[in-house]
Amino acid sequence: MIQLHEVHKSFSVKDRKTHVAKRIDAVRGISLEVRPGEIYGLLGPNGAGKSTTLRMIAGLMDPDAGSIHVCGHETRRAPEAVRGCLGYLSTDMGVYARFTPRELLRIFGEFQDVDPRIAERRGMHLLEKLQLADFADVKMEGFSSGQKQKVSIARALLHDPKVVIFDEPTTGLDVLTAKTVLDLLGIMREEGRTVIVSTHVMPMVEDICDRVGIIFDGKLHGDAPPRDLLLSRRAKTLDEVFFQLAAESEVEGGH
Amino acid sequence: MRGALLIAKKEFLELSKDRKTLFFAFVLPFLLYPAIFGMMAKMAKRDEAQNRGKASRIYLADPSGALTGTLQADPKRFELVPKPEGDLKQAVRDQKLDLALEADPGAMEALQRHETFSLTATVDESEHTSELALKRVKEALRNQEKSWIQTRLEDLGASPQLAEPLKLEVKNAADPALEMGKVMGRILPYLLMIMMYTGSMQHGIYATAGEKERHTLLSLMATRLPRNQIILGKLLYIFSMGVIAALLNLLSMGLSIPFMTGGATNSMQALAAVANPMTLGLTFMIMVPLGLFFSNFILLMGIQARNTIEAGSAITPGIFLVVFLGVFTMAPGVDKMPFLTYVPVVNVCLSLRKLFSQQFDQLEYLVAFAMTVGLAGLMTYVSTRLLNREKALFKA
Repeated sequence: MIQLHEVHKSFSVKDRKTHVAKRIDAVRGISLEVRPGEIYGLLGPNGAGKSTTLRMIAGLMDPDAGSIHVCGHETRRAPEAVRGCLGYLSTDMGVYARFTPRELLRIFGEFQDVDPRIAERRGMHLLEKLQLADFADVKMEGFSSGQKQKVSIARALLHDPKVVIFDEPTTGLDVLTAKTVLDLLGIMREEGRTVIVSTHVMPMVEDICDRVGIIFDGKLHGDAPPRDLLLSRRAKTLDEVFFQLAAESEVEGGH
Repeated sequence: MRGALLIAKKEFLELSKDRKTLFFAFVLPFLLYPAIFGMMAKMAKRDEAQNRGKASRIYLADPSGALTGTLQADPKRFELVPKPEGDLKQAVRDQKLDLALEADPGAMEALQRHETFSLTATVDESEHTSELALKRVKEALRNQEKSWIQTRLEDLGASPQLAEPLKLEVKNAADPALEMGKVMGRILPYLLMIMMYTGSMQHGIYATAGEKERHTLLSLMATRLPRNQIILGKLLYIFSMGVIAALLNLLSMGLSIPFMTGGATNSMQALAAVANPMTLGLTFMIMVPLGLFFSNFILLMGIQARNTIEAGSAITPGIFLVVFLGVFTMAPGVDKMPFLTYVPVVNVCLSLRKLFSQQFDQLEYLVAFAMTVGLAGLMTYVSTRLLNREKALFKA
């Protein structure tokens, strides 16, 4: 279970020309709840605040205000407990190229306090699911971005997390690999995990997400199932909903 | 602490996958110093043997024949050559001859009149063969001069002792171990500091800014390991690499000493006496906090940097500071400045210098040790505090 209540986060950036520090409100009062067995799709343009929100849920960043609870733990008070019960994947993440997938999973199993035998078994099972078992003992130096992404997914799921956060999991992947990832998300829902996915790929959201939230300028809009969103907005596709909300957000922001 | 050990283990495992780095970090030091010193010793020996067996080529202008006999009497060391064409200085510079000697034309008459005659030697001090020729000539002339003085005194009916009122006999009271200790005490702290800093530098950059650059740091932070444990694990790795590098280099240098001294028994015995377990233990004990201090600095600079180039630019100037401090502590008279006992890093070098020179000052050592431990602890605290900041970790 993931619960966000009135979460705020801002950053200070320096203008190189004027040397004046500017405050950027990346997340402005987001509240949402994702239940077990549910896939929540987080949409939004670049820089809208999606990754910041996900990093805060993963306990990697602290919110300035508001609270986030994951698996019953408050992220600021028990970030380690939060990270122990969730699997986090981001496109920003690299893999240790000197290791083989098996070695990497063994090491991360230790980090996540998983019994080495269980980690080995689970790791191989995940690599098989992701069609990477044949490369389990090959150094990752020459891996394609898709193969690296698959290893990252296996790493994120190795400790059998109850909550899964995938930040743009299909970016840069070919159609077949992307489908493998989507199938895996479906399995995770069936297994009763709580899943949040951030993406730009609208058809993917319509296909697999139970509920969708769209972030513009750090604010959450349209927190509802995709079909409800389409009906309430009288739109045929989520792309249309996206553009409508973008226009509303601009008017609201006084642009 | 388990998390820190796991992170350090991960770093070492990663290093173990890189054969080239392993070779350069662990194998090369063992080959490098014995090879370099062995080669140098061999070359010096060969050069010496060559010079010993070769007569110096000397042009002697001695119209009166006062010196010709002296030099001709030793053909193994002196080969008298005809005057080369052109300028004598240029001929020496061009190594057409090793030395030119020009005696006063009236030298023989001056000798007979018990007067002084002049002799000019043209030598190229930048050439070893020329210097050797001068040394040989001086030796030959010294003996000749003695013989002339004796003859003069006999002619005058005076005792040969008249010209030698004092006979100085020098006895070396220095203990070879103490001598060796003084040399080591001056050089060793400097070497240890340099090796620890440079040995951990590249690994520190790889494990900090390198992780950011390769986008792998986020994957570590997304695990259940506490952030301070991740930082401590990296610190442990950087520190261990510095200590390993210093120890390996020193061991390799130690193995090279027989090459440097030509296997002289005295030197080896002196070295064994200096490198006793107590001295080595105290040295290692104080080098640990100093290494931690350096590692913290590298960690701090590395993790705050956006990439490896930025980290390298921030960490490299540290070498100059370490070199400066090391050279400063080698200067004569520095050990007589009491306030330096309270100057961090410098006090470590000075207390080690005294330790090896058999002038161990317990209080001074304790002050240096306590200060370095305090400083290392403070740096570790500051590092973990600063590096916990989102700004430092997500800077990219």
